[in-house]
Amino acid sequence: MLEIKNLQASVNAKPILKGLNLSIKPGEVHAIMGPNGSGKSTLANVLSGKSGYEISGELNFKGENLKKIPVEERAQKGIFLAFQYPLEIPGVNTNNFLKTSLNSVRKANGEKELDTMSFLRLVKEKSSELGIDEKILSRQLNVGFSGGEKKKNEILQMKILDPKFSILDETDSGLDIDALKIIAKGVNSSRNKEKSFLVITHYQRLLDYIKPDFVHVLSDGKIIKTGCSELAQELEKTGYKKLN
Amino acid sequence: MLNFEINSKEIDKIEKISREEKDFRIKNLEFFKTIGFPNKRFEDWKFSDFKNIVDNNFNELAVNKVSNDISNIDLLNDFNHNYILLVNGSLHSSNFQYEDKDKIKISSYNNNIDYKVTKNPLVCLNHALSENGYFIEIKEDYKFKKVLVIYNYFTEDIKNKILNNKNKIKLNKNSELHVIEYTVNKSKFKFINNSYEDIVLDDNSKLKNIYLQNNKSDGFFHKFLRNKLSSNSDYSNLIFSSGLKFNKLDIECDLVGEKAKCNILSGLFLNKDEHQEIKTRINHLFPNCKSFQKVKNVLSSQSKGIFQGKIYVNDIAQKTDAYQLSKALLLGDHAEFNSKPELEIYADDVKCSHGSTSGSIDENSLHYLMTRGLNKENSTRLLIKGFLNDIVEFIKSKSIKRFVERKLEEQVNGY
Repeated sequence: MLEIKNLQASVNAKPILKGLNLSIKPGEVHAIMGPNGSGKSTLANVLSGKSGYEISGELNFKGENLKKIPVEERAQKGIFLAFQYPLEIPGVNTNNFLKTSLNSVRKANGEKELDTMSFLRLVKEKSSELGIDEKILSRQLNVGFSGGEKKKNEILQMKILDPKFSILDETDSGLDIDALKIIAKGVNSSRNKEKSFLVITHYQRLLDYIKPDFVHVLSDGKIIKTGCSELAQELEKTGYKKLN
Repeated sequence: MLNFEINSKEIDKIEKISREEKDFRIKNLEFFKTIGFPNKRFEDWKFSDFKNIVDNNFNELAVNKVSNDISNIDLLNDFNHNYILLVNGSLHSSNFQYEDKDKIKISSYNNNIDYKVTKNPLVCLNHALSENGYFIEIKEDYKFKKVLVIYNYFTEDIKNKILNNKNKIKLNKNSELHVIEYTVNKSKFKFINNSYEDIVLDDNSKLKNIYLQNNKSDGFFHKFLRNKLSSNSDYSNLIFSSGLKFNKLDIECDLVGEKAKCNILSGLFLNKDEHQEIKTRINHLFPNCKSFQKVKNVLSSQSKGIFQGKIYVNDIAQKTDAYQLSKALLLGDHAEFNSKPELEIYADDVKCSHGSTSGSIDENSLHYLMTRGLNKENSTRLLIKGFLNDIVEFIKSKSIKRFVERKLEEQVNGY
């Protein structure tokens, strides 16, 4: 699914990722943990195609060189990033936006665009699964949403777009335990043999609910340790310092 | 360089006027002839050098009469409405099928004296030459059931003309009127429409006006609006007049009774070399009045947007609540937005605020939308619409709101 080899990324000549290697196969869930400033969000941004980074190294998604694919096409090809800080977009109705987004992706994949009725049915189903009050969907995108509502809205978008590879960038931060469980359930119900996930988090707690196949520790722009889900529990006890 | 001269005989051609009116017209014409079109040396025109604009766009310009014959026009079918049809500025016909006709007076407007002395040369030109606009008066206690659309229709043959027309709307006590002023320009040529409008709101009356046009055009528009708002009256003007080559709206509001309310809102999308100015002067002359101004401009390519807004508060106008905000979204390096807020306050117990911002599209917002599969173009359009939506939200009627949204969308999608 995703092959990253010797990925280096810098912003304004300041190196952040310094030779990162990662291979994710279909159906796998990988977790990335690491101290503040280690480059976790940069990795998420680079994968989403955000501009402003100097990039070198190999970045392949399903055999294609990702560096050559513009942001919206990455989304159309099935890459999804749940933002750490979802943006507020004033004046844009959430439902309209979700429909435009879904139909852009469907159109790019040669599928028929959904009409309003079928779209609303889909939204109803997915939002009730995530315990989202449908009223917020008729409001402006993320404007005045609580922290939890914003994060749930990200997962709702993920469920609606049904991507092949999802990156969750600290989706758990700022969530109470009930919201965390709901979000984890939402992710787990999407897991199957074809879909892969990259879960970026500070805390082991999320990984109690979303069981990863692999846990990586990112430090100073490199993966310094890889293990199975027990590694996360170990880190919770010892912290990152011991690893250095 | 345009050599524009007006013969005083033009005034003789105007029929049925009193000696007094004739003198008034001649005096105004003389004033215009000494000054000519205003240039940027006039403080009120510093961002819109009209003389320069006229010189660059016209080789000839005539004031002589134009015909107002047309066979038929396509009326809007988005919602039921009454209408007034103006052809090249002159009252052509009207239809008040949804209303009690006894409560409405409509006629050609020719009464042309009793105006404040003005130093605006274009207003003087209008005073000198205007004829055949409309005058509508709504009787006491009558509230319109359906909206009134004023079709401001310009025929195909209008070329190198300057059309001067003057209108008046008078709302008597407790009456209410909602207007959509809708410009339909069939001319492919350049011309100037210089209009003057008098709006009088008696106690407790309410006027809501929406201003927009059907299509982009090469028309140059200047309009001076003089509003007199009595006690407890409520005036609002929503301006969506994008797509004109030149448009300057000069709005003066006198709040002449307690608790009068004045709202001026604008959502504009300017493209190419379009030039639009909104200039306001809100005179708070009585206590407890409220004014609210919000102007939002999206400017692309080499367009230019201007907002000059002045709030004046008289010494007796205590408890005034005046708000003014202008915001610009600049899409290109050559687009320009000029804002000049002014406050002149002589009362000590007032709430007045003003603000002005301009910036470009937020890259992070753009990225967020693109990660959801929307291309850059569509993401940008969505952000533009979102920016302007703030103003559209002030429209209460669903069908009218949809209509305005559709019109704005046509503009934005052309980008």
